[in-house]
Amino acid sequence: MSKVQKVTNVLTGLFMLLCSGIMILFPEIGSHLIIIILSAALLVYSLRLLFYYFVMARHMVGGKAVLYRGIIIFDLAIFTTLMAEIPQIYVMLYLLGCYLFSGVIDTFNALEAKRLGTPLWRAKLGLGVFSMVTSIVCLFFIRSTNIFVYIYCGGLISSACIRIANAFRKTAIAYVR
Amino acid sequence: MQDDFHYYATYCAAIISGYSHEESLEICYSAELVDHCSRTLLSKIRAPLAAATTQLQSELMDARTDILEIQNITRIWASFHFLPFDLRAKLKHRSALYMNKYRLICNTNSDLLVDTVHLAGGGSLQAAGIAMHILADTWAHRYFAGTPSLVINNVNSYCYELISDEEKHRERAVTFHHNPVLSDDVYKGYYSNSVYQVRENSIMNLGHGRAGHLPDYSFIRYKYLPAWGEYAEIIKDNPSDYYHAFCQMIYAMKVLRGTYPIFEKEKYDTKAVTPWEDEIHEILTRRRLNASKDWKEFGERLSGHTIEDFDLGKFQEEYGNADKKLRDNTFLGKFCLAAMAQKSMVTNQIYKSGNMLAGFSVDYDKFGFKGIKDFMKLVENEKRGS
Repeated sequence: MSKVQKVTNVLTGLFMLLCSGIMILFPEIGSHLIIIILSAALLVYSLRLLFYYFVMARHMVGGKAVLYRGIIIFDLAIFTTLMAEIPQIYVMLYLLGCYLFSGVIDTFNALEAKRLGTPLWRAKLGLGVFSMVTSIVCLFFIRSTNIFVYIYCGGLISSACIRIANAFRKTAIAYVR
Repeated sequence: MQDDFHYYATYCAAIISGYSHEESLEICYSAELVDHCSRTLLSKIRAPLAAATTQLQSELMDARTDILEIQNITRIWASFHFLPFDLRAKLKHRSALYMNKYRLICNTNSDLLVDTVHLAGGGSLQAAGIAMHILADTWAHRYFAGTPSLVINNVNSYCYELISDEEKHRERAVTFHHNPVLSDDVYKGYYSNSVYQVRENSIMNLGHGRAGHLPDYSFIRYKYLPAWGEYAEIIKDNPSDYYHAFCQMIYAMKVLRGTYPIFEKEKYDTKAVTPWEDEIHEILTRRRLNASKDWKEFGERLSGHTIEDFDLGKFQEEYGNADKKLRDNTFLGKFCLAAMAQKSMVTNQIYKSGNMLAGFSVDYDKFGFKGIKDFMKLVENEKRGS
């Protein structure tokens, strides 16, 4: 990782931690903030696709598909951003669905790791079961804004910590002639 | 390529090049181990994780696609399975981002292949086995890159199998499916491949995933449009490529044995193969998913010994029971050292070409030791050697 990438990762991580802090302290504005973040993420994704097309994919066989996809998602992102109110329950169901799915995947990975005899399978299984149980429990409190915000913040905080930790990891390879 | 070529055919090539039965077994075991030595296996036997030469599907599905993980993936796949052909290739009107990926496209007879064989020279039989795996893969995996990349590795629906039967030649469209449970059907032309993902760095776009196992079957001939090829068709003749790989392995192993002083590009020991040429062509062109049985029978006739099947657990006990200080002298210890030396060399070459996709490389002679601790073993090994 270059110095610029390290600094960018640390700053992004800190920004994510700041957002999570604000949302945990003021959960009443948290749900709106999440919708804004999700819409902005869609917009950024579409812009990245368009950038990707002009920088790389235009040289690829069938690369026009990337351009069309970028334009359609950009359109969708603008549309989503302009929507004044998205029913909160849909956003919650979307987030819980993602969380449950990641839990199932973690569990399958843990079982595969166990079959292969790696000692890390217990930690993976624990994470998978925790994600699944949390998402199922949250379904019972789907009308509660706070829980919804806390789950989202949990994910955001862990991503932020991983980013910051990665920035300080030793990654260079020694070359011995 | 699969165990049929990496294990049994490598054994045959080693015997023809003059190695004994026992030496040939060690070489072909190491060549096959390259496809099994994952972080999962290494963590199980408590060996240095930096010696990983492959990634399991479960590890890949788990992998993030941030810069560090892309570098880790590229180090493994470019070093051992998709050796880059031209790290300084030039194309007009292409961005640096594009060129970094383009320059990792694997092909045969590269400068890095020469470096790989020379690195294995004077080393262990494990190093020879690793080098033979890499050499063979340059033939099977040519035109694909060992890094996730849609713009390089994508294969679209224009993919046709070229079938010759009873002196008739015909083309049959390849039907790809994404069900990993279903095995490929070579008679109907149904093959599995990875799912189309528009994200450049998606793990689905690593190596020949989008072409499924077509590069792994020795019998198949097919044509397709490589994503990087500006709509120029490529005809892939696997029987011919695999034959060249076999002859080049024999030549390379003769170099490692000291029969020839240096490894030169575009040299194949076809003369040594002449007595068995027809038989080898027959093995290579027969339609089936795995040719292990035929290669095994051929190898056993060549050496007059029984070739035991590959057993992943064979050397694990030896490694686990060895004193920590003596582990590097065990079979797996030598394999790990050779793997890390290869990874370190390829990463250094990619880094020196100005491409950061395999990460940073620190020249120990100039800057001392920095970076991932596991590579300290290379320094210790060097000190022991000198």
